[in-house]
Amino acid sequence: MNIFLLALVIIVMGGILPLLTHRYMAFTKWVYLGITMIGCITGLFAIFSAPAKLQGMAWSCSWLHSFTLAFACDSLSFFFLIPIFLICPLAVIYSCAYFDKAENSIRTAVSFFCTNVLIAAMSLVTLAANILSFALVWELMSLSSYVLVMYDYEKAETRTAGYLYFLFAQAGALLIFAAFGVAFSQTGSMAFDQFATLPAEAKLVVFFIAFLGFGSKAGVFPLHVWLPHAHPAAPSHISAIMSGVMIKMGIYGILRIYFLLASGDLIIGQAVLVFGMVSGVLGVLYALGKDNFKKLLAYSSVENIGIILIGVGLGMIGTAKGNVSMAGFGFAGALLHVFNHSIFKSLLFFGAGAVIKKTGTSQVDHLGGLMKRMPIAGRTFLIGSVSISGLPPFSGFISEFLIYFAAFHGLKHNNITLLLIILAIISLTVIGGLASFCFTKVVGIVFLGEPRSGKAAQAGEGGRLLTLPMVILAGLCLTIGIFPENFIHLAFAGLTDIVKFGRVDTATIDTVSANLTLGSRLFILIFFVILLLRKLLYKNKEITKGPTWGCGFTQGTTRIQYTGTSYTRSVVDFFRPFTVIKETKVQLRKIFPGRTEYLRRIEDIAEVGLHRGLALPLLTLLGKFRWIQHGKVQLYIGYIILAISVLLLVSFI
Amino acid sequence: MSNIVNITMVIILLSVLLSLASNRLIALVKIMALQGIMVSLLPLLLEHHSRMGSGGLIFFQVMILIKGALIPGLLYVALKRVVTKREIEPIIGYHASLFAGLIIILLSIFITERLHLSLPKGHDLLLTTAITTISAGFFLMMSRKKAITQVIGYLMLENGIYLVGTALTKHAHTLYVVEFGVLLDVLVGVMIMGIILHNINHTFDDIDTDHLNLLKD
Repeated sequence: MNIFLLALVIIVMGGILPLLTHRYMAFTKWVYLGITMIGCITGLFAIFSAPAKLQGMAWSCSWLHSFTLAFACDSLSFFFLIPIFLICPLAVIYSCAYFDKAENSIRTAVSFFCTNVLIAAMSLVTLAANILSFALVWELMSLSSYVLVMYDYEKAETRTAGYLYFLFAQAGALLIFAAFGVAFSQTGSMAFDQFATLPAEAKLVVFFIAFLGFGSKAGVFPLHVWLPHAHPAAPSHISAIMSGVMIKMGIYGILRIYFLLASGDLIIGQAVLVFGMVSGVLGVLYALGKDNFKKLLAYSSVENIGIILIGVGLGMIGTAKGNVSMAGFGFAGALLHVFNHSIFKSLLFFGAGAVIKKTGTSQVDHLGGLMKRMPIAGRTFLIGSVSISGLPPFSGFISEFLIYFAAFHGLKHNNITLLLIILAIISLTVIGGLASFCFTKVVGIVFLGEPRSGKAAQAGEGGRLLTLPMVILAGLCLTIGIFPENFIHLAFAGLTDIVKFGRVDTATIDTVSANLTLGSRLFILIFFVILLLRKLLYKNKEITKGPTWGCGFTQGTTRIQYTGTSYTRSVVDFFRPFTVIKETKVQLRKIFPGRTEYLRRIEDIAEVGLHRGLALPLLTLLGKFRWIQHGKVQLYIGYIILAISVLLLVSFI
Repeated sequence: MSNIVNITMVIILLSVLLSLASNRLIALVKIMALQGIMVSLLPLLLEHHSRMGSGGLIFFQVMILIKGALIPGLLYVALKRVVTKREIEPIIGYHASLFAGLIIILLSIFITERLHLSLPKGHDLLLTTAITTISAGFFLMMSRKKAITQVIGYLMLENGIYLVGTALTKHAHTLYVVEFGVLLDVLVGVMIMGIILHNINHTFDDIDTDHLNLLKD
């Protein structure tokens, strides 16, 4: 435990340092980078050095004389700590290259400070063991990430995005604390381990309120509205941390509250499964329709949260039905997908950040041909895209396979459970297909073809610091894909302390992982065989290279290439009932046609619904109370007196 | 001893009434200085405070200095800088205010009786005085327009809260939590109002709070 605390102290100290010495940013940056790396490596060392003695990592202290802050570690916390200490230092390396302008050094210093506070807060969230400590570190996490999103605060867009994020974070926190309040009123104890003693009805209420709260942090479908706004506004490495690690804290919360309550109710699993399917399918659908690079990635996070929730939901149904292998593989698949997603999503955000930094635009349709100009960023982005689409032999395939496996184990049940599980399998395939489609669009339009704008034509590879984290993450994606046994065992190890009723026997896990390994390695083999065949077949033939989309045109133009809109139109049209499509088109009508035009915007039904159904009525209602704020100080004091008199009257009567 | 306590309380009540009726700002500041000194003397005169260490004595001396000299001094300096010397056009007139002050005293007696608190012996009047001071502070803030009168009303309110503290507590003054809190409140309040005063005066050449209307959304 002491080593772990030491790691946190080092991280926070490393964050404070740039605040003090921001005048010498060029030098401070390296010291900050060094200290943060040391802190994170110490943290990794602390959790890996004693994985068997995790329960020993508990400590508590009293706060303000009347409260106790308690922290404890178990296997679930251990599992969620790994991505925190793995992704964050890479993001910090990236940030040192990303923030290379000298003029706003104080702002950069604040951003560094908040990053480290966020790292520490997230790791404490996974350790919190009573209501109060959880509330404290949860708020710390929300607030520090809010400051990080607001880095470019001069832009009105960023301020709106930050405000939206703040609203969702606080509303979510409100719901979480409400759930804790319900639990506290029943048990009268702050400690988490008392949650299991709640009556069954209270458990349901607590779980669903908390689910909504954690869901708004995780980006579950109707509550994900802040994600596509906050991610484009934040600097790329912050998006990577937030999307890769922070939103997983929402998943952690859902899992933690579920295992604390130890409720055997089937409805919980079914509801989580439905939320997962909706988030997954609609998330990837909106990702398809977006033309902003980072917005697209944000929606893809919603999709992956959906996949994770499908796994979690299957695990919960398995638990309720007493189906050991379904529960085990569902939860393990979800956990492994949490880990995988944190790797490839941060990889993709790093790639997007490098592109945006070099070209100055995040509009997909202004880019193109970057694979030749940014070879490392392009190739690592491709690896990330293949992983996120769940294709072998990369990491996404492994975790999605485990979830499929859990779903197929559930097919022996009947009635509504069977229906839901079949739907889950169908939606997993739909998600996989659409995700591949979505990422072929990104890679095809951004990295292949010819540049569509001058900036894209002049772009070059970023520095070593910018590409190093991407290379490391891409290597991890491949490693998990080719050597999945250890990682599958790691995911099951994450479940040891919390799944009480029965374990999946190791023989099954070994068989599954051995088969997966074989499959992945076969894929690699086939890949190399095809590569070799191609070499052999083309050995004696002349190979000429021409411009992309050259096609024999004498006056080729980059405008003949597919755009994002045209590439995805057929698919998006197919899903019309779930999307609000706004089109402006000027088509050919007359014999002598004028200039034709087509513009498409896809609105998010959750965003439109929340705006029309909640925000606007609330604004109208509250607008009616505007007269209360009239600006006369004297009458404001009158309000106070009125309140006091009413209170006095109440106490007198 | 009880005579002196009663006399002090009468002086506090009179200063309250006087501040309601006076229209010269300089006079108001002087009344506040007197009231501050009386309020901070009162705990010293009460019986249960008679056994007091040197720490307590120093504390009350500092209290007298701040309430009787520092805060009125700050207000005095602020007044010197602004053009306005009189509170003109009050929302409620001076005679009406005086009358309201009398009604407030009656109401406070009524409230003290209805609260049914088990007060230390002889503290009934003290609580009445405290509630009167609080209410009169509120009244002053509501019925006047100049920012400086608002500050004075606020000070009076804090004096009243301080009196409630002395009336209700019986502790041996090892922890001056309430007193320190009130003192800090007052200082911060005066600072903030001083800044506002300065800014209103600077922007509008006047310290009328009606100008603050422009600041609302």
